[in-house]
Amino acid sequence: MDPLAAVLKIAGSGLEAQSTRLRVSSENLANAQSTGTTPGADPYARKTLTFETEIDRLSDVPLLRVGHIGSTRGPFPIEYDPDHPAANADGYVKLPNVNMLVEMADMREANRSYEANLQMVKQARQMISMTIDLLRTSS
Amino acid sequence: MGPVYLFDLAARHAQWLAVRQSAIAGNVANANTPSYQAKDVKPFEEIVDKTHLAMAASDPRHIQTVAIDIAAATGRGPSGRGLSPSGNSVSLEQEMIEAGEVSRDFALNTSVVKSFHRMLMSCARA
Repeated sequence: MDPLAAVLKIAGSGLEAQSTRLRVSSENLANAQSTGTTPGADPYARKTLTFETEIDRLSDVPLLRVGHIGSTRGPFPIEYDPDHPAANADGYVKLPNVNMLVEMADMREANRSYEANLQMVKQARQMISMTIDLLRTSS
Repeated sequence: MGPVYLFDLAARHAQWLAVRQSAIAGNVANANTPSYQAKDVKPFEEIVDKTHLAMAASDPRHIQTVAIDIAAATGRGPSGRGLSPSGNSVSLEQEMIEAGEVSRDFALNTSVVKSFHRMLMSCARA
């Protein structure tokens, strides 16, 4: 496979994986206050994802793939609120284990990695057009 | 003075730069993958020394190719680069610098080829 086409393919896989990461991060942020609805029910559990390197069999290039999107089983912080529909017998409500600061940091990192992949696409395109420019007769 | 295989050399160099760029793209894409080791290709000098420019084809079916591919990409040593807690050795800044370097070298390469081509064309037209 042409190496410059491989650049576009690899960077494309990177863009896709990083945008999935951004999506998971925004899901966590949106549900940072989602509690359960029945007494004693579990609230929203923070989602995490893993990255894997996958060698593309057709072109033998290392692509980036999202491995597994899973929910954490972490301890949920509790708050005393007896009037809440999700309050248990003692009047405590379980809140989601989402840390806003961690999610924002993760979002920023995903953003930076996305930009880096985009930069690779730009440079590969530039190199391809420089090669095509060789065919242009300049006179 | 031996002949200068300029276009052949330029084509090889362009190919090497393209392979290097794809190795860098792999590093950038896997910048957040745990236990991924940053890769790079062998220096161009090494490849030129190993595959002589005027290759002798002992059989007409031999196809002359340059043996650079991603398989030639070797893991960089731990020297000079920090290993993140997840075991990833990619430094995005370093990769961006290298990608810019490859892009600039490619521009130089195509400009040289273009100007030599112009010289040839001016001879052919005269």
